[in-house]
Amino acid sequence: MSLSIYNARLLDPATGLDEIGAIFIERGKIRDISKGKTDPHADAKASLDAGGLCLSPGLVDLRVKTGEPGFEQKETLATASRSAIAGGITSFVVMPDTRPVLDDVALIRFIAERAKASAAARIYPAGALTTGLNGEAMAEIGLMAEAGAIAFTNGDIPVANASLMKRAMAYAASLGATIISRPDERALSGSGVMNGGELAGRMGLSGMPVEAEWIGAMRDTALAEATGCTLILDQVSTSRTIAIAAGARSRGAKVFTTAAAHSFFFNERDVGDYLTYCKVNPPFRDEDTRQELIAALKRGEIDAVVSAHDPQPPEEKRLPFGEAAFGAAGLETVLAALLSLVHDGPLTLLEALAPVTCRPADMLGLPQGRLAKNTPADVILFDPGKPWLCEREHLRSRSTNSPFDGRRLQGRVLRTFVAGEEVFKHESVA
Amino acid sequence: MTRAAYHYSFDHEHLLSIEGLSPLDITHILDLADKYAEATRAGIQPDPVLKGKTVVNLFFENSTRTMSSFEIAARRLGADVVSMPVAASSVKKGETLIDTAMTLNAMRPDALIVRHSASGGPKLLSRKVDCAVINAGDGTHQHPTQGLLDALTIRRTKGRIEGLKVVICGDIAHSRVARSTTQTLHLMGAEVHLCAPKTLLPSGTETWGAASATTDFDKALKGADIVMMLRLQQERMDGAYLPSRREYFHFFGLTQERLALANPDATVMHPGPMNRGIEIESAIADGDRSVITEQVEMGVAVREAVLHLLAGGRA
Repeated sequence: MSLSIYNARLLDPATGLDEIGAIFIERGKIRDISKGKTDPHADAKASLDAGGLCLSPGLVDLRVKTGEPGFEQKETLATASRSAIAGGITSFVVMPDTRPVLDDVALIRFIAERAKASAAARIYPAGALTTGLNGEAMAEIGLMAEAGAIAFTNGDIPVANASLMKRAMAYAASLGATIISRPDERALSGSGVMNGGELAGRMGLSGMPVEAEWIGAMRDTALAEATGCTLILDQVSTSRTIAIAAGARSRGAKVFTTAAAHSFFFNERDVGDYLTYCKVNPPFRDEDTRQELIAALKRGEIDAVVSAHDPQPPEEKRLPFGEAAFGAAGLETVLAALLSLVHDGPLTLLEALAPVTCRPADMLGLPQGRLAKNTPADVILFDPGKPWLCEREHLRSRSTNSPFDGRRLQGRVLRTFVAGEEVFKHESVA
Repeated sequence: MTRAAYHYSFDHEHLLSIEGLSPLDITHILDLADKYAEATRAGIQPDPVLKGKTVVNLFFENSTRTMSSFEIAARRLGADVVSMPVAASSVKKGETLIDTAMTLNAMRPDALIVRHSASGGPKLLSRKVDCAVINAGDGTHQHPTQGLLDALTIRRTKGRIEGLKVVICGDIAHSRVARSTTQTLHLMGAEVHLCAPKTLLPSGTETWGAASATTDFDKALKGADIVMMLRLQQERMDGAYLPSRREYFHFFGLTQERLALANPDATVMHPGPMNRGIEIESAIADGDRSVITEQVEMGVAVREAVLHLLAGGRA
């Protein structure tokens, strides 16, 4: 029932704590945090010498797609959870674009029950903002919120009708519900398959211009300002989008931004020889844009980093680039992608961890994501310097299309705990 | 009789809006309407104050309830009544509102009762004709006789209007009834609270005289003396303004459990026509706290009073 993890490098972005110490866990919660190398709770049922490894809150991921229900061949809640805990993610939000779409109270309850029965990580369903995600009629936001939907989103294709979007935001605001919206003017980007620009032109591929994201962000932030709705701009890919959000925020709007972990790591040139594993939405941008995005993360302007986990089976990816599905498996590479920014210099460990722990948890009002007394004991032990080769056949998702395939990465999760229970132990750990 | 009342005269040419009426005007209308209501209940034929007068019902929007109510009121006072559902006739031939008004004006009616789908329609018409114009509902703007009949129903049920807590719940944004009734009751000293889903709750309702506007019906109901439910159009519930009927009923439907949050003697009202099972449970609509049919009865009495004052000389 009780566990003491000591001699760990405690990292808590919420308080800025970065010191050797111990945590004491009892009945699923962190009960005590102390400093020093020795075990202050030698009386605990079990104790674990972390040997100086990093101990941080488990990661909170705001954007995961599984195929359950409807596309179980891609991913189930159970397989996504298995992959998540190996990547240090202990809580994640699942998107509603399943079949059927999560636009009904019964489906929200279904996800909650399936997650409880089959997944080690904490799973939170996001409800569909419009019925069938068709962008035409508001879904039952109020009833789904009561049933446990943590936020509402129209998934990859935002609501095109600004009037409906405004009403949905006003309605959500009155219920205190949060809307997650991908800023994207589809009239500009709808036919695109990679970043819009010279490279797409040379490759003969249709582009998704950055303006599409800016226009979407300008619209949605204006509506959030008008309605008072809490808005999370999903997976922004340029620093200008972040500036648009910051502008709205300076006028009192409740606007947050997220960015996909892989967008800090890759640029459009990684698409290279039409590699469909690098086909994602939003697309990998050019190098300058990537650098600006890293700078914005360093300045703390990006509220959360997400895995944007969207696994696709081979039959969806072994196709000509234009025809292949968007999406990449991402749960197991979030931490390594962020740690690459630490190893390469710009970020400190705490700066890399904040957008995947306390900040996303705060955005959704969750108690976890921090090392604090009487909060859920969702913690990870990781070795930030441990080198590894990312090979897709070793990824734990049901579909393993990762742009990191074949890349050398540094930083591995060695143990993952959810509610004080060890749910993952890396094979290298005795 | 007080000195003020002694010198009082109803000094309005038209009834286009509650705005512009004073509490004294409203009291005067309600007092006269009360007499007409009592006369009807007693089976007494009122004085034919509109004898020889012509009243034209000009309805550019379909309505059976309001049109019949005005028609009955005018006939009771001895008027000749012509009812013209224009929606089906000349407008289709391309005649404008003003053309229609000029044509009718040439026939020298004494009162025009107008319903139009455009806010401000009756006002425009009133500038072009020589007779009294009564607004029987214009767009999402005003329905003054509804405001007055609600006030009369409340005054008869509760014995007063001043100091009562009134909650109006439903499609406030598109409701002319909400506007007229809020203004009337506010002028008469009631505390009016508006309640609707955020998408149907316009901003600035304090300028109508509303004490508050909220999306929390349960909270609004606490201590309410009057609960008035508004009709929700089906087309508002298909996802454009509201997710669904069941979600609306879940948060805003008047159920027995919800009504229990109001004062024990709270009265339930509805301007009709009702959507049973959407905004109101049948058991409440038909229950002993409902005065919905009395509202219809008072509608005729109020319209008699208004016609009398505008077309029948001094009352």
